[in-house]
Amino acid sequence: MRTESLDRLRTRITSIDAMPAIPVILRPLLRCLDQPVEQIDIDKIVELVSYDKSIAAQCLRIANSALFMRNAPAETVRSAVMSLGMWRVRDLLFSNSLSQVIPAKRWVVDPAVFWRHSLGVALVCRKLAEMIEYPDPEKAYLAGLLHDIGVIVNCMVAGEDFRVASEKAAREQIPLDEAEQATLGFTHNDTGRILADAWKIPADIGEAIELHHQVGDPQRGGPLVALVHLSDLLCRMRDLGYGYYEPRQIDFANEPGWLYLTMQFPYLAEIDFARFTFALDEYAKEVSDLVAAVFSS
Amino acid sequence: MSNQTILVKEDAAVPENLGDPAWIRIRDLIYQVSGIYQAENKFYLLVSRANRRMKVVGARSPREYLEFLTARPNRDSEMRNLLNEITIGETCLFRSLPQIDALRKVVIPSVAEAKKKLSFTKLRFWSAGCSTGEEPYTLAMLLMEETQTTLKGWTFEIVATDLNDRSVAKAQEGIYNDYAVRNVPPEFMSKYFIKSGTDFRVADSVRPHITFTRLNLLDDSKMLFMRGLDAVFCCNVLIYFDGKSKGRTVQHFYNALLPNGYFFLGHSESLFGINETFRLVHFPGATAYWKPSEAVTKAGAP
Repeated sequence: MRTESLDRLRTRITSIDAMPAIPVILRPLLRCLDQPVEQIDIDKIVELVSYDKSIAAQCLRIANSALFMRNAPAETVRSAVMSLGMWRVRDLLFSNSLSQVIPAKRWVVDPAVFWRHSLGVALVCRKLAEMIEYPDPEKAYLAGLLHDIGVIVNCMVAGEDFRVASEKAAREQIPLDEAEQATLGFTHNDTGRILADAWKIPADIGEAIELHHQVGDPQRGGPLVALVHLSDLLCRMRDLGYGYYEPRQIDFANEPGWLYLTMQFPYLAEIDFARFTFALDEYAKEVSDLVAAVFSS
Repeated sequence: MSNQTILVKEDAAVPENLGDPAWIRIRDLIYQVSGIYQAENKFYLLVSRANRRMKVVGARSPREYLEFLTARPNRDSEMRNLLNEITIGETCLFRSLPQIDALRKVVIPSVAEAKKKLSFTKLRFWSAGCSTGEEPYTLAMLLMEETQTTLKGWTFEIVATDLNDRSVAKAQEGIYNDYAVRNVPPEFMSKYFIKSGTDFRVADSVRPHITFTRLNLLDDSKMLFMRGLDAVFCCNVLIYFDGKSKGRTVQHFYNALLPNGYFFLGHSESLFGINETFRLVHFPGATAYWKPSEAVTKAGAP
C-alpha cells in the first residue's frame, strides 16, 4: 500500500473509537524485557505478574499443571515464575494482555489459533535470528509476536467484513492478506502498522508488521522484515498457521527474504534447514500446550 | 500383528531415563549417521526403543549406551540395530497424510501441468526400497483416484524395487493385516481392498499399474537404466548407507528424475550434506527435494 493511502486509512481508523488501547502492562513489560537476559530483573517480572490477578492465577495454575510441575507445587507467584521460566512467563503475559485488548465477543478469528500462530512465529523468529547471529534476537521475537497484530484491529474496525475476508481465505486456501485486499481494500499489514505507530512500538518492528508479506523492496525494511516473513512462512508450513491448508510449494532458498538475509548474514547459507524445520515440531507442541493453558480458563 | 500391538503399548509408557541429557547426544549421532531427526516431543519413542536395545546389549545408562554406539568395535552393527528399532512400524499404507496431501494438492498437479505442455499424458513414479509393497500400492491408489477425476485421460506407471527377494514376493502378494491398513481412508478401503479372512487383499484393478522388481540401489549399472521419472520415493533406506554410497545413490535418483521431478524421503529424514543439486522444498507438514527445471536453476541460483 502506498504511503498516501496508508495515511488515509490511518485517519479513518484512528478517528474510530474502536481502535484498541495499549494494554497497561505492555509498556513496562517491553521496557523490562528490552535488555540482555542476564540483566532482566526477576522481581520486576514477579511484580508485573502479581499486578493482574487473573494473570497471576494463570501462572500458578500452569506452573502446577502436569506439563511444567517440577518437584514441589508452586505456591507463590515468585515460585511459579521460577518454575515456568522467564520466557514462558513473558509469553503468557504478552498473549494474555494482548488478548484482552478487545472483548472476547469481538474476535472474528479464533483467538487461540491466532495466538498459536503469533507465538509460533515469535519463537521461530528468535531461533532463526540466533542461528544467523542477528544482533538482537529478542527484538526478532517481539516482531514475530506482533507481526499479525493488525488482525486485532481488523476485528475491531471491520467486524463482519473481516469475517468474510478470513472465511474467504480459508475457503479458497489463499493467504489472508490477499483475501483482505479483495474484500476490505486494505490488509492486516496496514492496520497493524497503524496500531504499532499509535502504541509507539519501535519503528523497525512496525516495518516488519507492515511489510512481512511484501519482502524484497530493499529501500524499505531491514533484516527484521525478512526474518518475520520467513518465520511466518515456515510456521504456516509446520502446523502453526491459521488452521487451513495452503496448497503450495515453498523453496525457501529462493525467497526474496532469504536472498536478502544471506547477503548480510552468511551463516544462513550454512544452516541445516531440513533439521531446523523438523525441530519446529517441538515448538508446535510447546506452543499448543501453552495456548491451550491460556484459553482453558 | 500381535507383536506390533505389544510394541505400541510399550511405547506408551514413559521411560524412567527420559530426561537424561545423553539422549540429545544419541539423537544427534543418529541424525549425523542416518539423517533421521527425532524431535524432542517424540523423544519418548526414541527412548523407549533405545531402551530395548540397551537391555539386549546390557548398557546400564544412556551414557553407557552412547559408548556402545561410538566406541565399541561392533558400533556400526549396533547403530544398525538401533535404526531398525526406530523405523519399526513405519511401513503401513497411507503412512504420511501430509505427504499424501502434498502429492494430491501440489505435486501431481504441478508435474502434470508441466508434462501437458510437452503433450505427455503419462506419469511415472518409483518406489525405491518398497519393502513389502505398502508404499507403491498407496501411490497406485492415489493416482487411480486422480486419473478418474482431475487427470482424466492420463495413464501412470509405478516401478517398485527392493533389495530383498522375500520383500518383493510379499509385496506382489499384496495382502495386509488390519494394522497395516489402519490409516487407509474408508473410501479407499471399500474401493481398493477385498476382505479375506482377517486380512485385506489389494484389489486386482490396482495391480497392473505396478511393476515389482529386485534392485540393488548400489548397483550402478542397473541404476543407469532408471530414467524419465516424475517422482522417486525412498523411505528409510539411505539411513543404512555410508556417506559415500548415499551421495552416489542420490545422484542416481537425481539423474533418473525429469526436470521438475520430486524426491521424497521418509518422515524427518534429511539429505543435508549429501547432495547439493536437489533443492529442499516445503509443503504444509511435509518436505521434499526438488529437481528444478533448467529455467528455474538459472534464475534462482543464489
